[in-house]
Amino acid sequence: MNTKKIVMPIILPIAILIVWFIITDVLGLITSYTLPGPIEVCQSAYTIFFDGRLIKDTIDTLFKVFSGLILASIVAIPLGILLGSFQSLEDFCSIVISILRPIPPIAWIPFSILWFGIGTMPAIFIIFIGCVFPILVYTMDGVKRTPKVLIEAAQTLGAKPLDILYRITLPSALPYIVSGLKVGVSIALMCTISAEMIGSSSGLGYLILTATNLFDTGTTVVGMLVIGIIGIVLDYLFRKAQDQIFW
Amino acid sequence: MAIKVNHISKSFKQEDKDILQVLDDINLDIKDREFICLLGPSGCGKTTLLRIIAGLDKPDIGEVHDGTGLVTGPSKERGFIFQQYSLFPWMTVLDNVQFGLNMSHPDQKEKNAEDAKRYLQRVGLENFQNSYPHQLSGGMKQRVAIIRSLLNHTPVQLMDEPFSAVDMQTRHILQEQLIGVWKRFDTTIVFVTHDVDEAVFLADKVVVMDKNPGHVKDIVSIDLERPRKRESAEFIKIQEEVMDALGVEDMEG
Repeated sequence: MNTKKIVMPIILPIAILIVWFIITDVLGLITSYTLPGPIEVCQSAYTIFFDGRLIKDTIDTLFKVFSGLILASIVAIPLGILLGSFQSLEDFCSIVISILRPIPPIAWIPFSILWFGIGTMPAIFIIFIGCVFPILVYTMDGVKRTPKVLIEAAQTLGAKPLDILYRITLPSALPYIVSGLKVGVSIALMCTISAEMIGSSSGLGYLILTATNLFDTGTTVVGMLVIGIIGIVLDYLFRKAQDQIFW
Repeated sequence: MAIKVNHISKSFKQEDKDILQVLDDINLDIKDREFICLLGPSGCGKTTLLRIIAGLDKPDIGEVHDGTGLVTGPSKERGFIFQQYSLFPWMTVLDNVQFGLNMSHPDQKEKNAEDAKRYLQRVGLENFQNSYPHQLSGGMKQRVAIIRSLLNHTPVQLMDEPFSAVDMQTRHILQEQLIGVWKRFDTTIVFVTHDVDEAVFLADKVVVMDKNPGHVKDIVSIDLERPRKRESAEFIKIQEEVMDALGVEDMEG
C-alpha cells in the first residue's frame, strides 16, 4: 500500500521523460527550437547554473514574489479584519472591491510601467495587486466566521474589545488567513513571471523571454521547470504551516 | 449577588416577517447565593431570559438589575456557561481556565496559573492542563468551562443547559460537583434546564415557565437538604409537584 503510494505518482513523469527523449533526441521528429530534447535542456541547465544566471534570476523572482506578498499582507490582513468586523465598513467598500477584484493583475502592467518605470518595482506592484484581493477576502471571511459563542464567552469572562480581537478573532481567523496567503503566493508567482516578461530586465520571466528570442529553447524549458519547482516547494511549505493549525 | 428582573418582554422577527413573542412580562427576584432553575418546554424563552440577564441580548421592554446596577451588556460579574462547547480551541486547558483571571489581573500571571491548576486538580483534570479542548470528552469540556467561569470569582453564574450533551451518569457526577463548587464560591446560580429531575436535584427554587408567549407559570421552592437523594420520598413528591406545575402533557421528550 505504501510503496504503491510512492510509485504511482512517479510513473507518469518517467513515461513523459522517455517519450520526450525518444521523439526529440532519439528519432529527431521535432526540431530543437520547436521543442528541445532532455539532453539540450540539461546542457542549458548546466550552462546557466554555472554562469550564475539561473541562481541570480531565481533569487530575483523569489524576492519579488515575497516583497509583493508581504506588502499585500500588510494592507490586506488589517483591512480584512476591519471590514470583517464592521458590516457597515464592508458595505461602504463593497462596490469598489467588487469592481477591482475581477481585473486581472496583468491589466495593470501599463500603469505599473507608467508609474514605476522598468525594473523590480512595477513587478512588485503587479504582485501586490494580484495578492491583495484573495488575502483580503479570505481574512474577511475568517473574521466573520468566528463562532459567536467564543466571542460571547470571552465577553462574559471580562475580555475587552481589543482582547477579543487579539485573542479570539485573530486566532479563529488564522486558518482562513493562511489559506488566503496560500492562494496569494501561487497568484504571485504567476504575476511575477508575466510582469517580468513585459516590464522587467531580470528574473525567471525575463530569462525565459530573452532565451526564446535567441532560439535558446533549452534555457526556456529550464526556466519553466524552475518555476514549477518553486511552486511545489511553496505549496508544500504552506501546507506544512496549515498542518500546524489544528483548530 | 441578587438579581432583579423587571417586566421583561422580548420578541424576535422571524424569517417570514412574523413577529414571535418569546417573553411576556417576566418578573423575578433572585436572592444572593440562591440556586435558581428555569424549567420549561422548548420554546418557552428560558434561554433568551438567561441571555438577557447576562446582557448578551437586549429586552424590548423591562430591565435587569444586579448588585452593581442596571445590566447594559455582558460583564465578568455575570459568568455564562453555554449549552454548546465554548472553550477556545487554540488554547490549552490551563490557558482556557486562566483566561478570565488574565483579563482582570494581567499583572499576576503566576498566581493566576497557580489558582487555575489548583481548581483543575479539584475536579480531577490536573493531568489535562496541557491538553487542547479537542482532546477532551464532552463532560470534561463542560467542567473546564465551569471552572473557567467560576475562577473569575463571578458573583453570578448563568448556565444554559450545560449538561444536556453528556450521558446521564456523567451528568449526575457533574451535578454533584456543581453543588460542591456553588457552596465553595458563594455565587448566585441561574440554571436553565428542561429536565425536571435536574431542576429538583439542584435548585433552591424552580421557576416553571410555559410558552406562547414565554411566561412564568409557577415558582416551586425546594427545602430539601443537600446532598439530595433521588430515591427519597420527599424528592419524588417534589418532582411530582413540579411536574404538575409544568402540566406534564406540555412537556416534550
